Amino acid sequence: MLKYYHPKQVERSEVDFGTPAVEGSMVNLTIDGRSVDVPEGTSVMRAAMMAGVKIPKLCATESVQAFGSCRLCLVKIEGHRGLPSSCTTPATEGLVVQTYNAEIAKIRRNVMELYISDHPLDCLTCPANGDCELQDVAGEVGLREVRFGLDGANHLDAETDDSNPYFAFDASKCIVCSRCVRACEEVQGTFALTIAGRGFESRVSAGQSEPFVASDCVSCGACVQACPTATLIEKSVLDQGQPDHSVLTTCAYCGVGCSFKAELKGNQVVRMVPDKGGAANAGHSCVKGRFAFGYATHRDRVTTPMIRAHIDDPWQPVSWDAAVQFAADRITAIQQHHGPESVGGITSSRCTNEETYLVQKLVRAAFGNNNVDTCARVCHSPTGYGLKATLGESAGTQAFDSVESADLVMVIGANPTDAHPVFASRLKRRLRAGAELIVADPRRIDLVSGPHIKALHHLKLLPGTNVALINALAHTIIDEELQDQAFIDDRCDQPAFARWRDFIMASRNSPESLSSAIGVSAEVLRAAARRYASAKNAAIYYGLGVTEHSQGSTMVMGIANLAMLTGNLGREGVGVNPLRGQNNVQGACDMGSFPHELPGYRHVSDDKVRLSFETAWGVKIGAEPGLRIPNMLDAAISGTYKGLYCQGEDIAQSDPNTRHVESALKNLDCLIVQDIFLNETAKFAHVFLPGASFLEKDGTFTNAERRISRVRKVMPPLSGKADWEATMALSTALGYPMQYQHPAEIMAEIAALTPTFSGVSYDKLEAVGSIQWPCNAEAPTGTPTMHVNEFVRGKGHFEPTEFIATEEKVTRRFPFLLTTGRILSQYNVGAQTRRTANIAWHDRDWLEIHPQDAEDMGVVQGDFVLVTSRAGETVLTAELTDRVQPGVVYTTFHHPESGANVVTTDNSDWATNCPEYKVTAVHLKKVVAGSAWQTEHQHFSEQQRRLLAPAKTRNSHETV
Amino acid sequence: MTQSELDHLIKMANQIAAHCAPGASEAVAAEKAANHIQRFWAASMKRQLIAYFNADGEALSETAQAAILQLNA
Repeated sequence: MLKYYHPKQVERSEVDFGTPAVEGSMVNLTIDGRSVDVPEGTSVMRAAMMAGVKIPKLCATESVQAFGSCRLCLVKIEGHRGLPSSCTTPATEGLVVQTYNAEIAKIRRNVMELYISDHPLDCLTCPANGDCELQDVAGEVGLREVRFGLDGANHLDAETDDSNPYFAFDASKCIVCSRCVRACEEVQGTFALTIAGRGFESRVSAGQSEPFVASDCVSCGACVQACPTATLIEKSVLDQGQPDHSVLTTCAYCGVGCSFKAELKGNQVVRMVPDKGGAANAGHSCVKGRFAFGYATHRDRVTTPMIRAHIDDPWQPVSWDAAVQFAADRITAIQQHHGPESVGGITSSRCTNEETYLVQKLVRAAFGNNNVDTCARVCHSPTGYGLKATLGESAGTQAFDSVESADLVMVIGANPTDAHPVFASRLKRRLRAGAELIVADPRRIDLVSGPHIKALHHLKLLPGTNVALINALAHTIIDEELQDQAFIDDRCDQPAFARWRDFIMASRNSPESLSSAIGVSAEVLRAAARRYASAKNAAIYYGLGVTEHSQGSTMVMGIANLAMLTGNLGREGVGVNPLRGQNNVQGACDMGSFPHELPGYRHVSDDKVRLSFETAWGVKIGAEPGLRIPNMLDAAISGTYKGLYCQGEDIAQSDPNTRHVESALKNLDCLIVQDIFLNETAKFAHVFLPGASFLEKDGTFTNAERRISRVRKVMPPLSGKADWEATMALSTALGYPMQYQHPAEIMAEIAALTPTFSGVSYDKLEAVGSIQWPCNAEAPTGTPTMHVNEFVRGKGHFEPTEFIATEEKVTRRFPFLLTTGRILSQYNVGAQTRRTANIAWHDRDWLEIHPQDAEDMGVVQGDFVLVTSRAGETVLTAELTDRVQPGVVYTTFHHPESGANVVTTDNSDWATNCPEYKVTAVHLKKVVAGSAWQTEHQHFSEQQRRLLAPAKTRNSHETV
Repeated sequence: MTQSELDHLIKMANQIAAHCAPGASEAVAAEKAANHIQRFWAASMKRQLIAYFNADGEALSETAQAAILQLNA
């Protein structure tokens, strides 16, 4: 007898079961004589599929709820009248179902005949030929003739909307099954699509009958995925035809880490299709991962190693051997002149775990110091510090699935619909199902109010007052005795709690005392605290709006305190969830990229840990921490730090106080940049090692929920080497040979040396798809929820979190606060997304300014505004919007020429040096031209492009 | 060492002294700050800070100075 289908047991399944899985007690029914057990409430259609019986369907697909419109799936049920649609009929105990008889066959054929009477008969030239459910079903039902002809009223002349850069909407092929409309609602949660008109006039409409690109559509691709015909189809398929093979891999954009099938012809990716079996995304995607992959083969890719003596010299293309030897010689010479500590490296959060591990190993073993850091320095380093101090592990506590059990979600300093869109869709689904939402953000993010979603409270705090906010919330909970005392008594360190309790109960931490600093009334603060504390399951999700402050680490500890105080840790539906920026920022941190930690977050001063690495690597490792990125830059300006190996990061654009970064880079004797493009940092480099995109290599990424997923090579590296191979070559040239044949061997070394990874292997990843660390003997299948019966550190530790305001304050000279962030269509420094059609949505960085402030300065939409801080000045284009509050302005940093980081200061988090991107006091002035920095930047970029030109025009195989 | 590098180190030391044990006694705060610097600063940064403290130290907060004394020890 067939058993109940559980999607997790059949991961990566290609089968469309027609309607979503449901949970419930099991019932037994009989379908075409086959007995099957399913959860009560499962559709008869799904039950049939589980019994191995496929029922014809058009309007049903597993990703959306049943609709019952196409009438193809009707069945006969014993004892029931008529022929109900199987997609909308729930399974109950003892049903006896017949899916096929002469009467049913006749009706199905008639239905299909009607569909086809209003559908173009151009199958042979149709882009969906061979991949069309309408075609399939016509075959299944045995359609042989269309008696009605095509002369009557029809939609065959309906126009195609090709306004979206990535997909076309050919209305003439639409069968109005509404799968796209339901996908937009249920899967994505945007509600951009609807069925306009009635009866014969019914048609799919984006917004108020607007072109797709002008509507609320966010180009997530859910509608394209759901469409059974060629109506909604990728333009890449229109251009190239259907792909013929596929490779399962992991997206290289944000920290959600979606699983995708890269579908190819030869070595060319035709489309990226979200994988239904992917645990992080469950078949959903966003505009970046789904469509914006063209950068990987963009003409700007530099695929030849290059060297030059000085940054004013033209780039010289050379062989790999020549490039790594040049780099190794320079590094060796620098260390001879300036000492072993005068060089270091930056690992990449965009590269794989294995590559990151190798770079920190190269720094520690071949450079012989601990001067290794990673871009987490400028994003989530406070998360690592704060969560380790309070809970005992530098990582989020939950799986993304957990949000489905949350009753209240508090989003602090994160903008999931833009920066983590696929997680945002899950969150929105839960909110539509009734979970409550509190948003703490200076800016009105989309989540505050959207289709069928409204935050209970939007705590519109002033930038820089996070700690005041979290203290006010915690104070209220104790003051009103809403804490989970049993949890605190059982799970937390008592003396630490007592000290913290005294601290938080001081009157300076009351909402009444703090409300004017925060800019939110005491009543609202108290109301929000009550809701958080009284929800059965309350979860906190936070982002860089928490960490990128002078008190970033304090705020992370404050969040952990709040979760412990209310017992919201150690089970599904709760927790402390950092939303990671880059795809492998979690992994880069895990892999020992910090100058004070070896892989697995173990301090370099720990003799036992150091000994294990020294034994495995055959070198001595220093017990003192190395330099962090800002310290490296300072030391470079001072002349004591002369060589840097920078893999897959663009610190000249992404790091604060650009002029300071540029001065530091200009002072280096050897800057080795490994990247897929000649990025802003590479303009200061002496050695360029061509990088490989995620499509060109094997490895693993670890997403924000600690999930380790495979990255698989779908095409050979354009430069001839994957990044891990380039690092090996450099290390070997430096006299520390590395000889791995495959990244699986690197992972084996990581597992052997890192207790939280000891159960991880490529074989296991092949078998189970993905694993959430810790994965070891105690947790052989991984750990979706952390701190279940006990915190990693033993007892949870409450840390006092005094609100000490940042030095970056508004003054008469700098009367506005600038805060920065990201938008949906662009990613980080934009190096990838700017080289795709995503540019259609965001071709420049805008300065959001409140209309009231704009009016005071005589600024109108589109005006140039000079933004001046104590660090520097740049000119941005004004966008008038009440998303920002008066006195606060906002911009993104996706375009290098915007110079957003020319303005941000060198203020940083007290514990980790994470820059304070989110608070910069600025002066604004209407101007007519760009800033001095922008002019210099333009000249420098043009010069560097000229110096690259000879190298780009020469054959990539030509070497010197 | 440039002035800006020194300024950063002084600022960082003062920040750590102020933030790492708010409300605690001077002795406890200094001990925690010293421990933090010990665990997270590169040896060269510690040396530079100690050199500045020995030569001048004026710009350092009292807690930061007490912390550096422990690094010295």
